[in-house]
Amino acid sequence: MERRGGGHFRGARGRGGGKMAAPLELRCWGGGWGLPSVHSESLVVLAYAKFSGAPLKVSVIDNTWRGSRGDVPVLTSEDNTVSQPAKILNFLRKQKYNADYHLSAKQGADTLAYIALLEEKLLPAVLHTFWVENDNYFTVTKPWFASRIPFPLSLILPGRMSKRALNRILLTKGEPPLFHLKEVEAQIYRDAKECLNLLSDRLGTSQFFFGDTPTTLDAYVFGFLAPLYKVRFPKVQLQEHLKQLSNLCRFCDDILSCYFRLSFSGDSYIKAGKSNASEDISYKGLGTME
Amino acid sequence: MCELPIKVVCRANAEYMSPSGKVPFIHVGNQVVSELGPIVQFVKAKGHSLSDGLDEVQKAEMKAYMELVNNMLLTAELYLQWCDEATVGEITHSRYGFPYPWPLNHILAYQKQWEVKRKMKAIGWGNKTLDQVLEDVDQCCQALSQRLGTQPYFFNKQPTELDALVFGHLFTILTTQLTNDELSEKVKNYSNLLAFCRRIEQNYFGENGKGRIPLRLA
Repeated sequence: MERRGGGHFRGARGRGGGKMAAPLELRCWGGGWGLPSVHSESLVVLAYAKFSGAPLKVSVIDNTWRGSRGDVPVLTSEDNTVSQPAKILNFLRKQKYNADYHLSAKQGADTLAYIALLEEKLLPAVLHTFWVENDNYFTVTKPWFASRIPFPLSLILPGRMSKRALNRILLTKGEPPLFHLKEVEAQIYRDAKECLNLLSDRLGTSQFFFGDTPTTLDAYVFGFLAPLYKVRFPKVQLQEHLKQLSNLCRFCDDILSCYFRLSFSGDSYIKAGKSNASEDISYKGLGTME
Repeated sequence: MCELPIKVVCRANAEYMSPSGKVPFIHVGNQVVSELGPIVQFVKAKGHSLSDGLDEVQKAEMKAYMELVNNMLLTAELYLQWCDEATVGEITHSRYGFPYPWPLNHILAYQKQWEVKRKMKAIGWGNKTLDQVLEDVDQCCQALSQRLGTQPYFFNKQPTELDALVFGHLFTILTTQLTNDELSEKVKNYSNLLAFCRRIEQNYFGENGKGRIPLRLA
């Protein structure tokens, strides 16, 4: 596997400089519907770790696991605790797990811009679909999260997350003249559909956003889109729109089959379920599957 | 940039006259349109547009960069104005409350500060220190500088909405006096951004009187 950029550290094997990497542990929400995690932010970090070859020990939050669930995903190394995807990715880059090393300066700038686009235009609608839309929240999201949190927190935490999502939507998008929640909803879904169209235009027919190696931007887009694409909701207007953009669906499916065929515990890939017949994609950057 | 004849008027109650509570807004015939996005749409519907020559991918890029500016620069400006105690105490409170009599000036200023702090908390900026905010601004300016490169405008020869938006923010940052100059220093580190602002100021706000108020870049 050749790499441009000479001596720049690559991948999980061959740690340059003889540095003994401290074990990195990631706490995040678990998976379902074929995804390693249903939580967008956790998924962004997981995808980036796969792309950059960072060896993460993933601890999925479940009923028995103790600890705070407020600020997830959280990365801990021997003396550092980092939360929020942007900071975690920065931390991983500093530890030499860099998926963007081959990008030009302009492409790096584009990455920042597109991430901003995702956060401003797509995130409110994704939050709404998961946490605010009543049918979705009460039939899918709340039971799923509540089942992974021990009583009595399970009574409180999902509600708190839902409220936080609604708050964020109203405070950032609910300014006059959009006084009513219905009008805000209409606006954020319009914005989200436009954002999906823009992403589809930008991706075109390439495998990833910057050629054929995945980068930070791919991790973010995957993190935001995959849950929307895969989780089965009763109210699906945004999902329907996404499904019409076949290159984005193909993008998510490719990443899932290339990088996440193994489950977390590293079980053999026979467990993955349907056999991926189209598997002539070479495992760039996957190396020995961690 | 579209060469539309405009008359700029300053009013203390501008925010209340605007349909969305935000400035700027334009008053055309019997229509009032506020904020950059809707104004651009409105002007486009009347047949003037700066971004017609762009293809789909370029339009996507332009929109993404505009969101970057809104996401980072605008939020940083709000943070600096309302969440940095030094600036709030010395400048913002008095500036915001100026048109109103006591005690209204204090009440309104505190209310606005509380609202802004709530918003910051909701988007995850509540715990950021000033240094972290400045670092974000630096990252944003770096991205803009790299995107601009050596071109005169972001999409080469012709200015677009993105140029207008970036100019608006950068020019304000560069020319507004605050308690500390760190924000404008961050922008000044990028010489092509400075040159960009000067170029737009000269071409569009120069002595041939395209704007009513002559703008000066220090």
